Amino acid sequence: MAGASDNDPVDVLIIGAGASGAAVAWSLAETRMRIVCFEQGDWTNPSEYPSTRKDWESQQFGPYHINPNVRGLETDYPINNDESPINVVNFNGVGGGTILYAAHFPRLHPSDFRVKTLDGVADDWPINYERLEPYFSKNDRMMGVSGLAGDPMYPPKQPPLPPIPLGLVGETIARGYNKLGWHWWPSDSAIITRPYEGRDQCLNLGPCMSGCSQGAKSSVDITYWPEALRSGVEIRTRCRVREITLNRQGMADGVVYYDEEGTERHQKAEVVVMACNGVGTPRILLNSESAQFPDGLANRSGLVGKNLMFHPVGFVQGIFEERLDSHKGPAGCCILSKEFYETDRSRGFVRGYNMQITRGTGPLATALQGYTSGTIPWGPEHHEAFQKRFDHVASIGILCEDLPEEHNTVTLDPNLVDSDGIPAPKINYRLSENSEKMLAHGLARAEDVMEAAGATEISSSGVLEDAGWHLLGTARMGDDPKTSVVNSWGRSHDVKNLFIVDGSIFVTAGGLNPTSTIQALALYIADTMKKNLANLFD
Amino acid sequence: MTNDVIATDHPLTTSQQETLAALLDTLLPASDDGTMPSAQAVDLIGYLTEKNAEFIPVLVEAIGHFDDGFAGLSLSDRYPVVEAFSKAQAELFDELLFHTYDCYYQDDRVLEGIGMAAGPPFPTGNTIEAGDLSLLDPVMQTSRTYRKYDQ
Repeated sequence: MAGASDNDPVDVLIIGAGASGAAVAWSLAETRMRIVCFEQGDWTNPSEYPSTRKDWESQQFGPYHINPNVRGLETDYPINNDESPINVVNFNGVGGGTILYAAHFPRLHPSDFRVKTLDGVADDWPINYERLEPYFSKNDRMMGVSGLAGDPMYPPKQPPLPPIPLGLVGETIARGYNKLGWHWWPSDSAIITRPYEGRDQCLNLGPCMSGCSQGAKSSVDITYWPEALRSGVEIRTRCRVREITLNRQGMADGVVYYDEEGTERHQKAEVVVMACNGVGTPRILLNSESAQFPDGLANRSGLVGKNLMFHPVGFVQGIFEERLDSHKGPAGCCILSKEFYETDRSRGFVRGYNMQITRGTGPLATALQGYTSGTIPWGPEHHEAFQKRFDHVASIGILCEDLPEEHNTVTLDPNLVDSDGIPAPKINYRLSENSEKMLAHGLARAEDVMEAAGATEISSSGVLEDAGWHLLGTARMGDDPKTSVVNSWGRSHDVKNLFIVDGSIFVTAGGLNPTSTIQALALYIADTMKKNLANLFD
Repeated sequence: MTNDVIATDHPLTTSQQETLAALLDTLLPASDDGTMPSAQAVDLIGYLTEKNAEFIPVLVEAIGHFDDGFAGLSLSDRYPVVEAFSKAQAELFDELLFHTYDCYYQDDRVLEGIGMAAGPPFPTGNTIEAGDLSLLDPVMQTSRTYRKYDQ
């Protein structure tokens, strides 16, 4: 039931202030409609991020942990990962996952939109790379993306800023790729390498994944949101949406939410835009049951919460005799390789993976990992073993394309609830045989690279557990209402004033970090909404 | 005054402090070249008091596993004692090691000893070379291209 007192109705209510919510808010702001964004978390203060503190590393084991079940902040909601080898990781607050992401910023490839046509698996998207290209470029400018033009594995594109430094890690691994004759390229990174739009450039602090104190990492709290707020959009923090409500005509007419005091309230809205990621969005839709939608809102296809895709991740670490200054520079961004990105059936699997070269860890993580793996003992041998590894390491992450499978789901947990009593999401996920073969292939090829680059010691691990960053596919887009949840511009087939702009709408996942594509989609959907304002609900 | 009387606001007795110092020195002794200090030289109790006070009673429990003579042993004689403790009380030992490492690897002397700048990463930052982009020449000289398809 609706709560204590209703607020004034708004034209557009956006749920979630992360990557896609920020982009869609900024784009719609020029319409001068009344736009409000509900965010269950808070604003973060860059001056309080861990890198301003001497205990910056241990902060990542506690309040800045990427797993919300470990972090356990009041603004987080629990997630039941018991039936999944991969845990969902996220951040709940203005900026969403971009607060803690590595800022690797590749676009999906043209081929990623046509996997059925090209490889006979999954489905084609109802849109293509060419349709999204102007929005990719606009998003690169808005976010501040650093990279190098000319990568032969993409159609021409021009990142607005020069690439982040290769450093000794990048140069060393690049030589390994060159020995093998394999592709590599400096990563497109949402980290500014020069002063840009009032922000100062990257200082190579290292720990990007616990927030950037310098403000050089392009999280949307410092890119899109300041501009959207100046244009009149309003953000209300600590507003946690429980369900979307419907009027008698079957149109969304607002949301029931809990405010900071835990008071249940109702907010009326003419249009509802969901931007809660591939887990949060199906959670709210499934929790919005009604006589008209007994299986959850906008779920006549039965596909809300199905086809969950992560990117299964593995890592290969190499130890080098020479010092690589591994702790310096953006931890997650350096160079990448698309050598095995496209399908070659002789490998025993379809589709492919991205190889992502990352730098090293800080001293605490190095010592702890060394203890766990038995490579750096405590006691008299500690210092010598530590010095051989710290700053002498490079890693290659294998990011595999995950294909959509209906048995991989987000549902509502029958018992687990958040602090407001809203059912928590439950993840049921199995790694497919295709993904297992792909990951094994990727780990073996990454070991080849390490060997070619001169590593004296090589170790592999995967699939990584706390690596469910990329939450995709749970409300897929498509032209047919029977086989998709939203149409080709993010509008629900079932509820004409309900839009989804986050990673839920991906048809396939590609084999790379999705934020660039999520935001390009959000800008494209916002633009399509603006072009169709007069008949938006037809 | 006996060693068991707490005469200051220090959470450990003198005897416990001596045992802790020996324990820390066993976990991370000073390096032979003197570059790296012993873990007993960093202020673990001060750190815990400020950041992780809830661990202090656990630390006292850990210390209680070592008898009074432990502090008087040589490093080589202490090592097997601590090794046996690490196996018998694995969870407790791991927690102790985590806090010891955490405190140790944020000490300025330690950071400088391993080649890092003292203090937190921000605002000092780091300088790294842009790198030699001519390494890309072989990549650009191939006929490799992205996968195309008919529209």
